[in-house]
Amino acid sequence: MLVDFEQIQKAKAGDDTAFNQVVIAYRKRILGTIARLIGRPEDVEDVAQEVFLRLYYSLDQLRTPEVFEPWLYRLTVNASYDYLRKQRRRNESRMSDLSEQQVMMADAAAGGKVSGEEHRRKQVKELVESLLGAVSEQDRILLTLKEVEGLSLKELEKIYSVNENALKVRLFRARQRVLNAFEATRASDKKPSGRKD
Amino acid sequence: MDQWNDELSRLFASCKAAMPDPEASPNFMPELWRRVEGRRSILLRIKKLSQVFLAAAAALSIVFVTLLSVPAFTHPDGSGSYIEVLADAYPTETLASHGILPREAAEAKTK
Repeated sequence: MLVDFEQIQKAKAGDDTAFNQVVIAYRKRILGTIARLIGRPEDVEDVAQEVFLRLYYSLDQLRTPEVFEPWLYRLTVNASYDYLRKQRRRNESRMSDLSEQQVMMADAAAGGKVSGEEHRRKQVKELVESLLGAVSEQDRILLTLKEVEGLSLKELEKIYSVNENALKVRLFRARQRVLNAFEATRASDKKPSGRKD
Repeated sequence: MDQWNDELSRLFASCKAAMPDPEASPNFMPELWRRVEGRRSILLRIKKLSQVFLAAAAALSIVFVTLLSVPAFTHPDGSGSYIEVLADAYPTETLASHGILPREAAEAKTK
């Protein structure tokens, strides 16, 4: 816990100063989790604010301060899921407006601005992003929380309020799909590139 | 298969390092409180509207209950309920004279 129970109780009772301190304590962690869940740095703050806004108006429903962190993670998961769903709809309409060549040019222009370590990070981000595109938004979030954020099954069980076995099955299936996509990507990378003149 | 599995695990692990927790912008807290206040004013408006609606519904129901509970006013000229008007139009003597009621029963009623 990044804040003590008393602070959460005060925030729950409507103390805005206490709520402010809770936000300040958790915002970096939540911003990081959201960044990795949604993969779009420009929208991370917006989604994080939505999480804390939902927290502000639902804190009175929190039964005990002990369950505060899973509760906050649940709000984070829900806000990220809402964002990803909206984003998919928006992307579908936006991408259909662009020709393939325009998309490739935009990618090349974005790639030209970075170098070295930043370039490697960008590659990792893009690869993970494309692999997670093989699964639904729910599975993407679940997989990211488990594999990237490193949350345990017990923690996920508290966040999702689902039993461990159901989570294991879901995680296994999602990972298999991502693994298949990964194999396909690697296989296409290793393939000799077309004809040689 | 195991090789791909391990490589995927390594890729996921490196993802956290590739995307470290970002710092919040200085505008984060003011913007958050602006959104909190914005939502609060919407909620207050909805609350006020629902109170007005509730008061109007209560007033209407009081009016209806009052209208229904006032007993129907009967005029001496016979504009009462259907049964009363019918009884006034056909007194028992008339029914007896038409042979609908036995004459003794009609006399007993008039006594």
